[in-house]
Amino acid sequence: MNRVDLKVVLLGNAAVGKTSLVERFVNERFNESLSYQNTIGAAFAAKQMQVNGKRLIMGIWDTAGSEKYDAMSRIYYRGAKAAIICYDIIKSNTFQRAKFWIRELRTVEEGCKIYICATKNDILKHGAVPSPDINVVETYAAGIQAKFFITSSKTGENVAELFNEIAQDFMSDPNNVQKVEEVIDISNESKGTYCCQ
Amino acid sequence: MEDVLEEVVSSDDLKKFERIYNEQLRSSVITQKAQFEYAWCLVRSKYPADIRKGILLLEDLYCNHNDSEKRDCLYYLAIGNARIKEYTKALNYVRSFLQVEPGNQQVQHLETLIKKKMEKEGLYGMAIAGGVIIGIASILGLSFAMVKRN
Ligand SMILES: Nc1nc2c(ncn2[C@@H]2O[C@H](COP(=O)(O)OP(=O)(O)O)[C@@H](O)[C@H]2O)c(=O)[nH]1
Ligand SMILES: [Mg+2]
Repeated sequence: MNRVDLKVVLLGNAAVGKTSLVERFVNERFNESLSYQNTIGAAFAAKQMQVNGKRLIMGIWDTAGSEKYDAMSRIYYRGAKAAIICYDIIKSNTFQRAKFWIRELRTVEEGCKIYICATKNDILKHGAVPSPDINVVETYAAGIQAKFFITSSKTGENVAELFNEIAQDFMSDPNNVQKVEEVIDISNESKGTYCCQ
Repeated sequence: MEDVLEEVVSSDDLKKFERIYNEQLRSSVITQKAQFEYAWCLVRSKYPADIRKGILLLEDLYCNHNDSEKRDCLYYLAIGNARIKEYTKALNYVRSFLQVEPGNQQVQHLETLIKKKMEKEGLYGMAIAGGVIIGIASILGLSFAMVKRN
């Protein structure tokens, strides 16, 4: 039950919408009426997914985001296969911070694929303007071979697509497919016995 | 792995933050950051003595910190106490937190985990029956205006 096939970490400024993104994906909900709850340290969630007929468990580490917790975030991104680097679509300072995390990950976690995520796309409908310009982010993402998603946790737009893409990319590596299958075999063999740690 | 009460700090991490803290201790200027990070590692240690030390550091931070840090201290104080089976204290910290931020899902989840752990050990009914629930204010010897901003 505690098995995680694919570790994903979320990084980015506080209040850019990381926790909301996980909540939308894992529990398919968005709670606007809740007053903002700054995540303490890091939070974990897991979701079972299907890719090409195979089951895998995605473990998602949602970090706090404030600089006070940088040292902790570094502990949580270790060994991650994918990182979702979030920024608020209208706040360029949060994009600067996103670039900071990307530079760091690129030097210390080479095996970690990067997905840039512009959050809160729904607010553009009310006249807000993206900052930086979407073209700028697209060019930047292409230059560092990262994928770029524009999401809204409020409407659900592109959220499942983002996580599905991460799972797909992971399973496109034959080594990973093999690992996932091995674990499933073991759990089939021990069917009937129940184990807890 | 996802259980915040079971998660164990790596000894490398613990040593790293211990070194930073001790260096500051020698120079007699301890930053809140260094103390918090060291305490955060200690309460996730597998050794109760470490956890107890972490709790002391967090209590000190709680008393001397500005408001925005207090909620973080309370959260890890609850975790540390639960890990050394001081469940009554742990639940008091949780409840104090929820008084200020009633809807906090991370802390609600922690409360569930603590109760589950108590149930497993046959303790939950006892704590309730004993009526030992006292406020954190009396544990730490202060009234809490805490995190409530504005
Ligand atoms: N309009 C809108 N608000 C959002 C969206 N995602 C998050 N928020 C709000 O932004 C604030 C911060 O969200 P949160 O997920 O806690 O950010 P975190 O600190 O990065 O985890 C909260 O008040 C959310 O309600 C979104 O897609 N649209
Ligand atoms: Mg959060």
